[in-house]
Amino acid sequence: MNEAELIRILSSIILQSAPLIIAVSGEIITERAGIVNLSLDGTMLMAAMTGFVIGLKADEAYPGSGVWIGFLAAAAVGALFAFIVAFGSIRLRQSQVAIGFVLTLLGDDLSAFLGQNYTRMPGPLVVRKGIPLLQDIPVLGPIFFDQSIVVYFAFALVIFLWWFLNRTQPGLKLRSAGERPEAAFARGVDVNRVRYLYTIAGGALVGIAGATYSLDVKLGWSDGHIRGFGWIALAIVIFGGWAPIRGMVGAILFGATKTLASILQRSFPEVSVVAFNTLPWLLMILVLLVSSSSLTERLIAIAPGPLRRPLNRFLRVAPPLALGTRFEET
Amino acid sequence: MLKTIARHPYLSRLLDALLPLLATLAALGVGAIMLFLLGANPVEAYTALLEGAFGSQNALADTVVKATPLLLVGLGICIAFRGGVINIGGEGQLIAGAISGTYVGLSFPEQPATVVVPLAMLAGFFAGAIWGGIPGLLKAYYGVNEILSTIMMNQIAVQIMNYLLRGPLIDPEQLTRASRIPETARLARSFDLPRLVPTRLHLGALIAVVLAFLVYVFLWRTTIGYRIRAVGLNPDASKYAGIQVKRYIVLSLLLSGAFAGLAGAIQVYGVHHFMFTDGSAAGFTGSAGFNGIVAALFGKLHPVGTIPASFIFGALLVGANSLQRAMQVPSALITALNGLVVVFVVSSELWSRRIARLRQTGAGAEVDAALLADEFDDDSRAEPVSEVNL
Repeated sequence: MNEAELIRILSSIILQSAPLIIAVSGEIITERAGIVNLSLDGTMLMAAMTGFVIGLKADEAYPGSGVWIGFLAAAAVGALFAFIVAFGSIRLRQSQVAIGFVLTLLGDDLSAFLGQNYTRMPGPLVVRKGIPLLQDIPVLGPIFFDQSIVVYFAFALVIFLWWFLNRTQPGLKLRSAGERPEAAFARGVDVNRVRYLYTIAGGALVGIAGATYSLDVKLGWSDGHIRGFGWIALAIVIFGGWAPIRGMVGAILFGATKTLASILQRSFPEVSVVAFNTLPWLLMILVLLVSSSSLTERLIAIAPGPLRRPLNRFLRVAPPLALGTRFEET
Repeated sequence: MLKTIARHPYLSRLLDALLPLLATLAALGVGAIMLFLLGANPVEAYTALLEGAFGSQNALADTVVKATPLLLVGLGICIAFRGGVINIGGEGQLIAGAISGTYVGLSFPEQPATVVVPLAMLAGFFAGAIWGGIPGLLKAYYGVNEILSTIMMNQIAVQIMNYLLRGPLIDPEQLTRASRIPETARLARSFDLPRLVPTRLHLGALIAVVLAFLVYVFLWRTTIGYRIRAVGLNPDASKYAGIQVKRYIVLSLLLSGAFAGLAGAIQVYGVHHFMFTDGSAAGFTGSAGFNGIVAALFGKLHPVGTIPASFIFGALLVGANSLQRAMQVPSALITALNGLVVVFVVSSELWSRRIARLRQTGAGAEVDAALLADEFDDDSRAEPVSEVNL
């Protein structure tokens, strides 16, 4: 394998992980505010379908604008699904998990129904645009800075979210709604309004992630196009410990494993394709196992003393304290 | 008006029981609008649906056959949700059960059916138990979120099924025919579950109904069942009461998987008599692993309530097929229609709780209701699924 090939592979890993990064970021802000939006798989399918179909139609009417209108439509679909989750759990006091699950099934079916006449068609495509100067950096340039616009968006989003969550007042309010809603309420935060806001914003991002597939990474629409990626995103949120940067690392690691699996598959045709298809799912279970607390605690306990604190910081992840619970103003 | 009914001891219970049905009707109402917009006559369409589901002896039998896996999976869901764990792995557990059941049947083609068939059912039961038990162990001892791990286990089961059916278990004859859908050889005819000829109704339906009552007895009349429910309602209190919470979390998921696995084996021996795959889970299961969850929610997570719930849902699935044939509407409309029913039924829970609250406001009526209430569904209104931490 020569250098050019390696760079090509690495840049394809980055492109592959971009939509996952966006979806994970969206779900992170939703869950940090205390709401679980389990409908990711259905939402992304619906958004991928809507983004593609609307983009196609818009491109016919106003050539060149299709992609952006498609993204807008997908964000709207994602926001709508998220609104249903928020409304159902906050206003109607239903189980967030039940609503999310039902929406997953509905999104799957509905996208197949509404998109049936648009399968396997060519459509609008996000332009690839290198960033001047940066793209000329050897090795790193072609991997990170000669990419599709969605890649830049994904990374910019992660940096913005890190800053927003950890360094701003609204970010603090968001976290307080997910960690200590009663305390936040006592300090004058309208907890449920905050939760509505970030559930919907997170859902819009998930919608954009769905359209990122159909308009760029996995171009086009077909029935069950990206089935399964929503669940993977949900697992990566846990792996990422509900933090944007770790979530991004998780998404890239997943993209890398998937790419690696398909390369290995080509190199070892005698090994059953099943082994490689099963790999990402097994890996996800393992990842959940490692990032869940009790096993890592034991790991940390056997580590030498000075290593324990950094290990603890790096490995231990805990969900927002009030995640998935209802908040009632009293 | 609602208040008056809610305070009435009998009427309120009746309304409560009928709510899922009313929700289904409301969903069909919305469906009628969709049909109308597609240029089909809703009245004709729903006549076709009812005809297809209940119109003849055969139709009725098909409905029951369709409802059988839903009921079995639903029973498992009742146990899991009552135990405070969420099992979304019905599809994978069903496949695991079907594969093991098929394997037993293919391995002993010459042995008497009275030995092989029960053995195959047991194999299905245990394979499902393993497939559900793994997420249970991960959840109880390592805190791995069971919603996600069961989903992952579904995918793994599908991959294993595809591998086995394309390779080791493929029908030797099919290798020469180069068919697009890989399948196993047909099981010996003597292994077919007894049927109510001339319909497709098979013994599995009866087994499922009997099991429903057994699960009720298990959950409400045995110590283990009591502990499962106690853990589901309040794990902390259960722990201080001396219940080994972790063990019961594993048990709930394990039993839940076992019933789905049994459903898989029964599908093979009662309906298909061989296994096949189109590459996805739904190809073989018909999404029974997911629909069973809906049926259980529909039946208010009560094993006996799940019987009529699966019947209604089965009727909807069968009737929708004949609606599609009769009216030439796109098949995806049918799935969308089913989705609508699910959403409406789940939302109807809201009304159910509102009625319960209204009932509680009238103290006198509450005493009456408490006296009249048999143990049958004494705590079915308590929310069994604890708030989930993802």
